[in-house]
Amino acid sequence: MTMRGANRPFCRFGLSFFIILLLPAYLCGQESIAPPSKVVAYDFKYDRGEAVELSWQLSPDDKGNGSISGYEIYRAEDPLDSFISIGFVSAGTSSYRDKSVYKGQSYRYQVATSSDGHLYFSEISAAVVPRMELINWNLLNLFIIGLFLCGSVIFFISHATRGKKLFIRKIAGLEAIDEAIGRATEMGRPILFVPGINDMDDVQTIAGITLLGRVAKVVADYDIRINMPVSRSLVMTTARETIREAYMGAGRPDAYSDDMVNYITDEQFGYVAAVDGIMVRQKPATCFYLGAFFAESLILAETGNSIGAIQIAGTAQPAQLPFFVAACDYTLIGEELFAASAYLSNEPKQLGSLKGQDMGKLLAMIVIILGVLAATVSQMGGGQFFTDIHQFLSNIFTVQN
Amino acid sequence: MKRQVPVIITFIVGAVLIVSVFFPPAERLGENFSVFFDIIAVFAFFLGGGNLIRIHGNKIYRRQKDWAFSAVTLTGFIVMLAAGLFKIANPNGITGDVAATGSLFQTLYYNIFYPLGSTMYALLAFYVASASYRAFRAKNKEATILLIAAFIILLGRTPLGVYATGWVPESFSLLQIPNLAIWIMSSPNLAGQRAIMIGIALGVISMSLRLILGVERTYLGVDNE
Amino acid sequence: MDTFGIWVAAFLTLGIISFLYRDNPWYKVCESIFVGISAGYWFVTLFYDNILGLFWRGVTSPDPHYMLLVGAVLGFMMLLRLVPPIGWISRWPLAFVVGATAGLYIINYFSSNVMLQVQSTLAPLFSTKFGQPIFEASLYDTIGNLVIAGGTFTGLVYFFFSKEHKGVFGGAARIGIWTIMITFGASFGYTVMSRMSLLIGRMEFIFGDWLRLIR
Repeated sequence: MTMRGANRPFCRFGLSFFIILLLPAYLCGQESIAPPSKVVAYDFKYDRGEAVELSWQLSPDDKGNGSISGYEIYRAEDPLDSFISIGFVSAGTSSYRDKSVYKGQSYRYQVATSSDGHLYFSEISAAVVPRMELINWNLLNLFIIGLFLCGSVIFFISHATRGKKLFIRKIAGLEAIDEAIGRATEMGRPILFVPGINDMDDVQTIAGITLLGRVAKVVADYDIRINMPVSRSLVMTTARETIREAYMGAGRPDAYSDDMVNYITDEQFGYVAAVDGIMVRQKPATCFYLGAFFAESLILAETGNSIGAIQIAGTAQPAQLPFFVAACDYTLIGEELFAASAYLSNEPKQLGSLKGQDMGKLLAMIVIILGVLAATVSQMGGGQFFTDIHQFLSNIFTVQN
Repeated sequence: MKRQVPVIITFIVGAVLIVSVFFPPAERLGENFSVFFDIIAVFAFFLGGGNLIRIHGNKIYRRQKDWAFSAVTLTGFIVMLAAGLFKIANPNGITGDVAATGSLFQTLYYNIFYPLGSTMYALLAFYVASASYRAFRAKNKEATILLIAAFIILLGRTPLGVYATGWVPESFSLLQIPNLAIWIMSSPNLAGQRAIMIGIALGVISMSLRLILGVERTYLGVDNE
Repeated sequence: MDTFGIWVAAFLTLGIISFLYRDNPWYKVCESIFVGISAGYWFVTLFYDNILGLFWRGVTSPDPHYMLLVGAVLGFMMLLRLVPPIGWISRWPLAFVVGATAGLYIINYFSSNVMLQVQSTLAPLFSTKFGQPIFEASLYDTIGNLVIAGGTFTGLVYFFFSKEHKGVFGGAARIGIWTIMITFGASFGYTVMSRMSLLIGRMEFIFGDWLRLIR
């Protein structure tokens, strides 16, 4: 209500604006520019009642030759308040989504062709009242495909729980983890674990922490020093809990120390400056970079290289993967990072989830083959059937906002 | 209680958020939860900041190796905290904007924080060069492919690429390096990006489900069962 | 920036660059200052933005958002870690954060990565895009379309975990990883130049603002 009250001066301003612009246009008698027609306003479906969809037929003079600069959108609250301008779209555009409406309030719209500083107004649209719907039926396709993906993950988790054997291929980077930890044992040097620079609200960080759990178990068993500088406080507390549990599991709770995990700073490059310093001073035998990384990825990996450490990296930041691939011994590429903890756990339930996500890939691959073939055959004059298949697949993979 | 309650919380919160997307009245829930996280993160900072003071304080107290550098860190931390929280030298006093021009907080930011950060970032130029050299010694087929693609794209963005292959006739224009670079960016690069992105999404979905269903609970310091 | 400020910034800039030669006390000083100052900076910023701006203003506004109290309670629980007998309660906010992250990520990644990427790949091979005449596409376009569809497909084959990379499947996976390596190479090559410009920026500061050798 406060917001609408605040709009009142703007309404008056809008009215004056309207008259000032309309009057000269009328007096000059520039009938050559036609206004848009058939302005229709309707409630945007399946939302919280916070949007109105507007469509119109372009002015016949909108021929893309620059004579029309665009369309000015006007709105009035019903019962008829003054019209105020709420937006502008360029020439050739015949729709607009008004996201500044209130649920339950009635509105009318008018669209004006803007040309050479003059406005040519359409008829006023019928009233529209934005309403909130309970279910977003626009997302039905998302729901069905999501159900298939989640369903297959859950199915294979329960399938594996019932004792069914599942085959999971070897993942090179993960096979190397034991070797890398073994190297630290032989050399008597510490392991450096960097969980990225994002917080626990990034699933990559969570994936990094779950891998830390696996690494920490081996570290605890072999009594190797682990050093984990972090850039987020929440990651610090979580990592400490994870490592402590690993030491408890190994029956050596006394060997655990909170000093294994240290908060440095939230600042990206401040953190990198400190980790670089730690690397060159402590010379860890093995460096793990598992989590969300940004520009610092290469600084870390190259510094690690300079001290001769074995480096295993994994991230789902596509832009940083090339640097890790170039500078590290093993890199877990995107999906492999998330699969890693399941793979290393060797628990049937976790491995089942990997089989489940493969079903998602299979679905994507089948849809790509069918869709591309249907589109190609349709294009070559193969008939309506193939056009329909392409259209169908394209539609069910389109997310409407 | 200690082990089960967190698993139940994760399940309920995760499941509710997934379902909320399909129900407009609840679709803002995700935004609310993100705000909760922002608040939790600040509280957590008391633990992180406390740890920073404890670690460096101990080092100074015990006169451990490099304790003087710890003193510098601690001094910087406390000075910045004081400058920000007490708005020292702020032209508008305690009610002014914390980063007002002329305040100690803003001065420290521009004269210390900013040059340090941007120089650290600029070091990347050297590291990119050394990584390129490393890639240059391509050890296997995959690394060679990476190197060739990188080389073409790099040349394609410089005048050298135009000069080097300008003589190639128009009918084979794709073989001109700038065109080849554009083609690589728009075709194989796009394909690889898509495969990676779809893979990542499926990995995220599977990982998130393991978390929500309590199959993966290492992050709680609780061993998976 | 005043003269003193410029000299301080130059001292720090050169100190960080000196790390390229080797670790040294100058770098250590710069690193220590950076860590201390930046940790303080972020705490102050988070305090004003999240605690005062978001929480306090939200709760005390004329139209109070009491839901924010839930966030504060969860945050407070986090601090209970400092009280060992009930430190386990701090797992609750953590569980909340992880649950919320998992829930949000599933939907976001599913719609923006899976749905959108698959949908974008459904294009004809012999045309620039669906609906356009077949003869409009050049040979290069067609090869490009084939590479996009085939590369995406084989890239997905590479990520398959539940099947051994052998035979035809292994061959497809190999093409997949080659495609992915081209992607990495392209991304690498594309970034090199922009990284160089960062260095140029700092050099301009040293030789321009500080030494005044360039204008």
